[in-house]
Amino acid sequence: MSAASLHRPPRLAIALVAIAAIVMLTPMLWVVILSFKHNTALMADTSSAFVPPWTLANYRSIIGEGQVFTWLTNSLVVSLAMTAGVLVLSSLAGYGFARLEFPGRRLLFILVLLGLAIPEQAVIIGRHQMFSAVSMHNTYTALVLPGLAMPFGVFLMTQYFRAIPRELDEAAMLDGASRPRIFWRVLLPLTLPAQATLGIFTFFHAWNDYWWPLISATDRDMLTLTVGIAATQMNFAQTEGLGFLMAQAVFAGLPTLLVYLVFQKYLVRAVAGAAGQ
Amino acid sequence: MKRLSALLALACLAACGRNDGRTELVIQRFFGACQAEYGALADPAQANGECGIITAMINQFEQENPDIRVVENTVAWPGYDQLTAQLAANGPPDLVTMHSSAIPDYEARHLLEPLDTDLAAVGIAPEQFTAAARAGVTVEGRTMGLPIDVWAPLWHINMNLFRQAGLVVDGKPVLPASPEQFQAQAAQFRERTGKPYFIQVTNKDFAGPMRIFYAWMMQQGAAPFTDARHANFDSPAGRSALEFMKALYQRGDSAKNLDYAGAVSGFLKGEGGILVDGTWMVGQFDAAAHDERSPLYRGYAVRPFPFLFHQRQVSLVDGHNWVMPRNAHRTAAEREAARRFLKYFAANDFQWARTGHFPAYRAIIDSAAWQQLPHRSDIAAITQHGEPLPKYVRRQSPIEFIVGEEAAAAFTGAKPVERALADMQRRANDILQSF
Repeated sequence: MSAASLHRPPRLAIALVAIAAIVMLTPMLWVVILSFKHNTALMADTSSAFVPPWTLANYRSIIGEGQVFTWLTNSLVVSLAMTAGVLVLSSLAGYGFARLEFPGRRLLFILVLLGLAIPEQAVIIGRHQMFSAVSMHNTYTALVLPGLAMPFGVFLMTQYFRAIPRELDEAAMLDGASRPRIFWRVLLPLTLPAQATLGIFTFFHAWNDYWWPLISATDRDMLTLTVGIAATQMNFAQTEGLGFLMAQAVFAGLPTLLVYLVFQKYLVRAVAGAAGQ
Repeated sequence: MKRLSALLALACLAACGRNDGRTELVIQRFFGACQAEYGALADPAQANGECGIITAMINQFEQENPDIRVVENTVAWPGYDQLTAQLAANGPPDLVTMHSSAIPDYEARHLLEPLDTDLAAVGIAPEQFTAAARAGVTVEGRTMGLPIDVWAPLWHINMNLFRQAGLVVDGKPVLPASPEQFQAQAAQFRERTGKPYFIQVTNKDFAGPMRIFYAWMMQQGAAPFTDARHANFDSPAGRSALEFMKALYQRGDSAKNLDYAGAVSGFLKGEGGILVDGTWMVGQFDAAAHDERSPLYRGYAVRPFPFLFHQRQVSLVDGHNWVMPRNAHRTAAEREAARRFLKYFAANDFQWARTGHFPAYRAIIDSAAWQQLPHRSDIAAITQHGEPLPKYVRRQSPIEFIVGEEAAAAFTGAKPVERALADMQRRANDILQSF
C-alpha cells in the first residue's frame, strides 16, 4: 500500500461526512428558498417555494425599514467591543492563573469557573436593577459590560497558557525580558489560535444575544439587530409573514457567516489543536 | 480630515433634529413594522392589515398635529418583557398597546394610570364603548385604557366543503346547536368529503386549545375561576368541555398534528370544514374567497362560536387597548399629547376595525359602513354577548398557557382528562396564590 493511499480518507467516511453536511445544510437552504417567496403564497402552501414566481420583496421590506442599518451598526459596535474586551481580559486572567503565583489563586480560579454554572437567567433581574440604579440602560456600555465577564474565556486561555512550556518563559527571562514583555512578545503570539476561537465564539454570542438587549435597550435607536428585526414582525409572522421572517433570518445571519468565512482557518486550526492535545 | 469633519457635522445635525421644540410622545406597540410599504402613507383608508393601518394612522396623527413628534417603539409581540423592564428602569413610554387580559396584572401592581379624567377631557365617555370593550378596560370601576378593538375566536367555514357535505341551507352553513348535533354533522361531513370537520391547533401553540376550552366551559354557565386565588377548571363543566374536545379528536373529526401555521395553511388548502381562529383572519380568508385558484373561492363564511351548551349565551373575547404606564417624570405637555393621541384613535376606530377586529365603539358597530364590510354582520352579535375573563384574576397570561397546554395534552390522548384537569387546576392555583 502506498503512502498516498494511507493518507487518503476512506470513501465511506467522505460519503458519511457529505451526508451529514447535506442534512445540516438542508434547513438553511430551506430558509433561503422561503425568503424569496411572497408571504401570501407561503401562507397557503409552503411547497410553493419550489416554483416561480420568486421575489426580492421580503429583502426590500427589510432594507426599507429605516432603522435597520442603525441596528446593524449597534450590533457591530456591541459585538466588536465585547469581543475585544473579552480577549483582553481573558488573556490577562488566563496568563495570571497559568503563570503567576499569588495567595488564593486556586480559590479565585474555582470562583471564576463557578460562573460557568450560573445561568444568565439567575442574575438578570439583579443586573437590570444595577444598570437602572446608575441610569445606564439604552447605552452601549450597558450592552457590552455584562458580556465581558466570560468564565469560559478565562478557562480557555488559562488552559492554553498552561500548555505552553515554561522553558520559553525561563529562556526569555535569562535574556532579560520582563514579565509584561514575555507575555506580550513570547506567549501571547502562541495563543493566537485560542484567541481566534474565543474571538469568534464571543462575537457570535454577542451578535446573537437577544434577551439582555431586549430588556436593556428599549430605545429604538439603541436596539441591536436581533431585537430590532424581531420587533418588525407582525403578530402572526410565522403564518402571515413567513417569507419576511426567513429573509430576516438570512439578513441577520449574513455578517456571522462572513466572520466565519474570514476566520475559519483559525477556528479549524484551534479545534484541531485542542483535539490533538 | 474633511470627511471626518463632514461626518461630525452630520452627526451634530442629526442630534439637533432630536430636539426640534415639538412635544415628544413616546408610544410602544406590537403589530409589526412595515415602513417600507406604509412609511410614507398618511391615509389609513389606503392601508391594509394591522401593521399597515396602524402605521398610516400614526402618520396621519403626526401630520394633523405638527406640534407633536411621535417616537414609535415597535416591539416583538406582545412586548410585555420590555415594558416590565422599562417600568423597572423608571423609563416607560407614554402609551402602550396592551391586551385586555394583561391589564389586571399591571393594574394590580399600580403600574398603570386610570384614564377616566384624560378620556373625559377629550370627550370620550366609557358609555360609548361596546359592552365587551368596556369590560376589557374596566377594573374596579376605573377605566384603565382606551379600547381600540375587541377580538374573539370564531368558526371560519369552508362553504364549498360544507355544500359537498350537505350542510348548507339557503346559502347559510348549518351549524350544530348541541354536542349531539356536532357529532352527527361531523360524521356526515367526514363521510361525504373524506375530510375532518374541524381544524384546530394541536401542537406547540396553546392559545387555540385554551380558547376552545374556556368557551365551552363558559357556555355551561361555569366561571373558570371561583375567586381571585382559585381556578375552577377541575369541575363538572371543565370535565365536560375537555371530554367533548377529546371525543371529537379521537373520533377523527379533527385534523391532527398541526401548529398554528399548519392549521391556517390546512384551511386555505381546503383540508377541513371549520377552522377555529380569530377575527384577524377574516380579511385574509375573504381575499382567498375572491381568488379563483383558492379552495375557498366563493366559499367562505364565518360565524361566532355556536352555543353547544345552552346554559349561557357567551363568547370569550379579548381586546387591544392603549394604556398609560405610570411615570412620575411625564410632563403636562406630554400628557396633553397623549390625550390628543387617544382622541385621534377613538375618532378613527372605524379604520382600525377594517383589520377584522370588532370596533370598540357602539356607534361604529351600528354604522352602515362597518356592517357593509365583508362578513361583519354575521359576527356582530359577539359584541353583545362577548365576555372577557374576569378582571379579579391578576395573572391571566401564564394561566392561559397552562390551560392550553393541559387541554391539548388531554384531548390528544397524551394525558388522561382527570389528570390534565387536576394539573391545570394545581398549576393555575400555584400562580394565583404566589403573590
